[in-house]
Amino acid sequence: MFQNYINVALRNLFKNKLYSAINIIGLAVGLAACIMIMLFVRDELSYDRFWSKADNIYRLNTTFNPPGREPFVTVMAQGPTKHALKTYFPEEVEHVTRFNSMRVVMQKEQDVFSEILMWTDPETVDIFDFDVVAGDLRRTLNDNASLAINETFARKYFGEEDAIGQTLTLSVYSLKRDYRIGAVYKDLPHNTVLEFQGMAMIDEKDFVDQEWEFTQWFSVNNYVYFTLKPGVSVETINQRLDGFTNQFIEIPDAALGGQSSDYIHYSTQPITDIQLDPAGARDGEMKATGDMATVITFSAIAGLILVIACINFMNLATAKSTQRAREVALRKVLGAKRRQLVTQFLGESVLIALIGLVFGVVLVEVMLPSFGGFVDKELTFNYLDPLTISILLGLVAIVGVLGGVYPALILSGFRPAYVLKANKSSESTGSARLRNVLVVMQFAISIALIVSTGVVYGQKVYATNMDPGFNKENLIVVRNTGRSGAIDKRDAFKEQVARLPGVKSVAFSSDAPASGNESNNTVRVPSEEGERSVLIGSHRIDYEFFDTYEIPMLAGRAYSREYALDVSPNGFAAEEGALLQSNLIVNEGAVRRFGFASPQDAIGKIVKMGVGNGRQAEFTIIGVIPDTKFQSVREVMRPEMYFLAPYGFNNLNVRYEGNPTEVVGRIEALWKSMITEVPFAYDYVDDVMAEEFVREENQSILLAIFAGLAVVIACLGLYGLASFTAERRTKEIGIRKVMGASVFDIVRLLLWQFSKPVLLANLIAWPIAIWGMLTWLENFPYRIEAWVLLPLCLVAGVIALTIAWATVGGNAARVARSNPIDALRYE
Amino acid sequence: MLKLHNLSKVYRTDEVETAALNSVNIEIESGEFVAIMGPSGCGKSTLLNIIGMLDSPSSGDYIFMGENVAPYGEAKLSNIRKQHIGFIFQSFNLIDELSVEENIELALLYHNIPASERRERVAHVMDKVGIAHRAKHMPSQLSGGQQQRVAVARAVVGDQAMILADEPTGNLDSAHGQEVMEMLQSLNEEGTTIVMVTHSPAHADYARRTINLFDGHVVTENLRAAV
Ligand SMILES: Nc1ncnc2c1ncn2[C@@H]1O[C@H](COP(=O)(O)OP(=O)(O)OP(=O)(O)O)[C@@H](O)[C@H]1O
Ligand SMILES: [Mg+2]
Repeated sequence: MFQNYINVALRNLFKNKLYSAINIIGLAVGLAACIMIMLFVRDELSYDRFWSKADNIYRLNTTFNPPGREPFVTVMAQGPTKHALKTYFPEEVEHVTRFNSMRVVMQKEQDVFSEILMWTDPETVDIFDFDVVAGDLRRTLNDNASLAINETFARKYFGEEDAIGQTLTLSVYSLKRDYRIGAVYKDLPHNTVLEFQGMAMIDEKDFVDQEWEFTQWFSVNNYVYFTLKPGVSVETINQRLDGFTNQFIEIPDAALGGQSSDYIHYSTQPITDIQLDPAGARDGEMKATGDMATVITFSAIAGLILVIACINFMNLATAKSTQRAREVALRKVLGAKRRQLVTQFLGESVLIALIGLVFGVVLVEVMLPSFGGFVDKELTFNYLDPLTISILLGLVAIVGVLGGVYPALILSGFRPAYVLKANKSSESTGSARLRNVLVVMQFAISIALIVSTGVVYGQKVYATNMDPGFNKENLIVVRNTGRSGAIDKRDAFKEQVARLPGVKSVAFSSDAPASGNESNNTVRVPSEEGERSVLIGSHRIDYEFFDTYEIPMLAGRAYSREYALDVSPNGFAAEEGALLQSNLIVNEGAVRRFGFASPQDAIGKIVKMGVGNGRQAEFTIIGVIPDTKFQSVREVMRPEMYFLAPYGFNNLNVRYEGNPTEVVGRIEALWKSMITEVPFAYDYVDDVMAEEFVREENQSILLAIFAGLAVVIACLGLYGLASFTAERRTKEIGIRKVMGASVFDIVRLLLWQFSKPVLLANLIAWPIAIWGMLTWLENFPYRIEAWVLLPLCLVAGVIALTIAWATVGGNAARVARSNPIDALRYE
Repeated sequence: MLKLHNLSKVYRTDEVETAALNSVNIEIESGEFVAIMGPSGCGKSTLLNIIGMLDSPSSGDYIFMGENVAPYGEAKLSNIRKQHIGFIFQSFNLIDELSVEENIELALLYHNIPASERRERVAHVMDKVGIAHRAKHMPSQLSGGQQQRVAVARAVVGDQAMILADEPTGNLDSAHGQEVMEMLQSLNEEGTTIVMVTHSPAHADYARRTINLFDGHVVTENLRAAV
């Protein structure tokens, strides 16, 4: 009996090659997409679960609530929190460690390199597990002249030699020291939020002049991780964090009023929650984290593709079922029970699903490396993993049963007398209608995916081409001009760059576009009730800055060497009690925040703020520039001040004309002739700004691939249905031709039959896609306008219709051209 | 009306060549009622299909209304066919998914006739063949005789000058068969040329002339004395 079923099943598979191929290809692609996305999702969920203390590692995050501004969330905390946590929670907190990454200039014998290394506390060894391959990690992290490096770093600098005991000279700020390699550890696996290539011990004495790094309460530069003592719940910490804030932090500006905890709020985050933070990926992580929304979207899309493949399966099976009516009727006459028939047909569809799975797995093997490259992960497919196996078999069972159950029930329900007597096996209208509904669903999904692809891509194009308020073309930033080794020569360097052919204008600045750095100053503005304090972002620039960026003045004038007061005062150089005065340029947003009526109105107004070392200064506003998206094109424009102050000039902005590589070549040659201790590094401003949208770019490519797959699978199904229908309608077509219908009439008739579901699918897909994408667009302060979605929908509809026509058209034309008497002769 | 001259039809399949028609010469006048008879497989249907321009001859000439259509391609033949020729088949060949009305209308659908006129003409022929009360029914709800009446209505609704009928009574009992024959006869009396294939000598008697085919040849032509 069983043998007989298998025989029939296999023979059916081979006899209906088109039908089998469509099902198997569709299922293979659908299952492959599912498997790859499942691997991706599992990997995302696996982050930081491998630490032996995974359930007990927490990070301290800091949220600033500046008055009148959006809260500013950081994934770091201030250096002193390490000691404060231990003193405030002596019974609860077990270990605390900090990670503070710094770019160092590294010297190995005669060669200089620029690298980023992590400064950390010895407790890191107690919290995290490292796979040490040589040396002693604990001793290394307890010694301020030792360095622990990972294997990649060791290989990069020492090749096959033993790295232990070798020395590298590191310079950072004023520190310059020979570090001995004390430990080499295996590279951290990719599924952790931690990332660094080497660790050095934090010795706070090394950074006394850079108090913002480790010892000051107003800078957040450290990732702070801690573990709790056994039996302590993190809730007990959470509840007392406001008290913690109030005990250790004094409000910088008494004028603000209220408690410290009104302005600074700490929160704890389990390390296992960081990768897929429900609040969305945050800036400032050691490496880009994942995103719950992406994981959910991907899973949903994989599911939808599988649904499309399943629909093909169901549709073709029901369509074909009429052709198998005779077999069923005969089996029934010979005594088969309904249940046996249902089992037989379900078995057949599970068999097809199984074959689809085999091909799907082959596809995964072929595609996984490129998919992995795309999502920036090394994904492997482990067949022996019991969870994987059970998920796969589960999928096959679901797909097989879903695809087979309806036709199985219909077929087994045929009444043999009816089937055997009727010389044609006309279909029930029910199954034809179900089929139409399913085709509509397939195309609705495909169309929605096409629209989404268009919107994501459109937003990316829009954002990268948006006018940022300055001219981002033909502009490069030379980095590192503020490092020791470069800082002394930077003015001479600037002068010489300005004289290079192809260079139009040069200017220093503290920040470059899209740097993500935030500096803010509290400014006191005269108001009706005396004085008001507002928080304003700040940049430091030099004279040529606005010229170089081609930012026009809305009111007043730009900084000029003719006015001594344009230069911002330095509080450290000022005498106690002196009345410090200076001039200031701000943007329109700052004018609004200050409460002045207009840019013109702001000119001549005086605001006050601290200038370091406890000194205060009065600033007269002399110029207003328009709002520029200097900070980030992803975020709302913020109110900003531009100080004329040389402090922190790390970037040299160069406006050039002509061939960029030649200009860069000249600048690089000049740099190398003047500065030997710091490597030359530069960026094109438009590239840096485009990088802010890499995520959207990747998303749109992936979406396009998935949308393409969905359309292809849906069309495979349509092709199968079309050939089936054409077969079923040959007699009708023959009659119509005898009645005088031309080939064109017939093709039109068949195309229309398949256009109807696609058109209907548009009506369903459009509102869903529009709603979904409008929601997505809300993530962006600057976004394409809503009406753009309508033409996108139209285009998606036309694409779907065209593809459907192309799919069905060939078949329709062939059928329409055939001689009608062939169809009518044997009846 | 039409003239076949030395007309042959050869079917080629992979292994065999079948000469379905062999140098056939036939002339049919406008307004005639011709019956074609002969044993099964002698080429009757083939002949009718060629006359009806559903198929093209392998060699020879086919002069239809003064025009040699033998070399014409499908599109041209289809144009002539839909203007002048109506068909009736043994197995009715109605479209299952369309109602009686719609099946008849089909013959006008490809003629650029406005919908209102189509409706009028359909109603008219339905009256004529006595099927008007079944206008909204589907073919599967009709008896064989009724279905064939619908087919007759469809064949004449376009005012075709010639009707080709391939065993129109083959699937009907004798009462219904006679009904159809009478219908054809009255159409012929109104001036329609009728060419009919039949196995029934009784039904052949309705025709004024009988052509006997054997193995692709015309054997005899009997002219029945005018009544
Ligand atoms: N498409 C075809 N391909 C090959 N041979 C064909 C084809 N059509 C008809 N024939 C052959 O041509 C010959 C004539 O067939 P035709 O259908 O005209 O016979 P008929 O006289 O109508 O027979 P019947 O009375 O059974 O309907 C037969 O031998 C048939 O096998
Ligand atoms: Mg025949």
